[in-house]
Amino acid sequence: MMPFRLQIITPEKTFFDGETEQIIARTTVGDVGILNGHEPYCAALGIGQMRVMIDGQFKRAATSGGIIKVSKEKTVILVQSCEWADEIDVDRAEHAKQVAEDRIKAARSDNDLQLAQAKLKRALNRIDAANLR
Amino acid sequence: MKDIKRRIKSVGSTRQITKAMELVSSSKLRKAKQRAEQARPYFNELYKSMCEIVSANTDFSTVFTVKREVKHRLFIVVAGDRGLAGGYNSNILKLAASAHSSDKEKPKVIAVGKKAIEYFSKRDYDIVGIYPNIAENIKPAQAQEIADTAVEMFRRGEVDDVQIFFTMFVSQLTQEPQQMAVLPMKTQKLENYGTMTYDPSPEAVFDRIVPKFMASLVQCAVVEAYASEQGARRTAMESATDNADAMTEKLSLLYNRARQASITQEISEIVSGANALE
Repeated sequence: MMPFRLQIITPEKTFFDGETEQIIARTTVGDVGILNGHEPYCAALGIGQMRVMIDGQFKRAATSGGIIKVSKEKTVILVQSCEWADEIDVDRAEHAKQVAEDRIKAARSDNDLQLAQAKLKRALNRIDAANLR
Repeated sequence: MKDIKRRIKSVGSTRQITKAMELVSSSKLRKAKQRAEQARPYFNELYKSMCEIVSANTDFSTVFTVKREVKHRLFIVVAGDRGLAGGYNSNILKLAASAHSSDKEKPKVIAVGKKAIEYFSKRDYDIVGIYPNIAENIKPAQAQEIADTAVEMFRRGEVDDVQIFFTMFVSQLTQEPQQMAVLPMKTQKLENYGTMTYDPSPEAVFDRIVPKFMASLVQCAVVEAYASEQGARRTAMESATDNADAMTEKLSLLYNRARQASITQEISEIVSGANALE
């Protein structure tokens, strides 16, 4: 498979910038696979997992919300956070899950509840990704 | 003489503190600048994507881009957590205060940084969010929280205009307080853009991007402001250290003079005493 350029950018830093052969990402409407020469395409990503093939090996990553944009020169994935599955600190994720659950119980307004639920979802996603690696 | 000596000592210890603070903030400044630079690509890419959507769809409009009559406003004000940073805090707070001086009612406020919280709560503003102690190490999730609050209020029509106030880091020596309109959003029309397939639709993607974009904007503003804060503190502390140096110099001159005078006096007393004995 022909490799193509992929950039994964988060608010904190450029997380990944290099060649990849294939991307499978979860958009809000379902999984999409991107190969070299894909038509220009743009979709929103939800909280979920993404697989990126580098040198014939799939690497799994947990991402939380963003967009994927495929253009002729490169593919850009803009996400709020991204972690390779094998670098996820499971203890920290478990802790985050605990905190989120407590906050859901203690939530006083709808806004609090929504924020806490989103936090829980992110934590669960990271735990999932770490277990699947 | 004793008094002067005591003053020299106290100025010296003040100098030690200001020097230490100067060093601390210059190392923090270096880190903050780096973070500000790393936050930029994400912001730029998001902004470009949004402009592409708007450019490619001529009849495009969402709730986020339409201007409404401004009845209620929301200010997001980013100030520092600590003082001793020269005019950093007062400049940004003054700007925020002057920005609504012609309005009939006070704006709602999201206050980032302890100094902003203090300022607005003392003056009875309607504060919808307080975020102390996050500037040094802001996480994307925290920026998202601030952005979501603003976006949600805008969407529900509780506010018709969202502005963010932060201090732009121009250089080590100059930091400029800035006001930026956040919502409704302004986008540029791009000249050359490719055709792109949007999944499921341009509007849907756009509406997903808006909160992300806002979060990124908040994040950028906060890291930028933090770099400014450190820059301002460094400059303030540097001049304080210089002042302390000048003061010690002056005081030690005084001290030496007084010492010399007392010695001279003693000698003349001894000599006149010896003369009297003869």
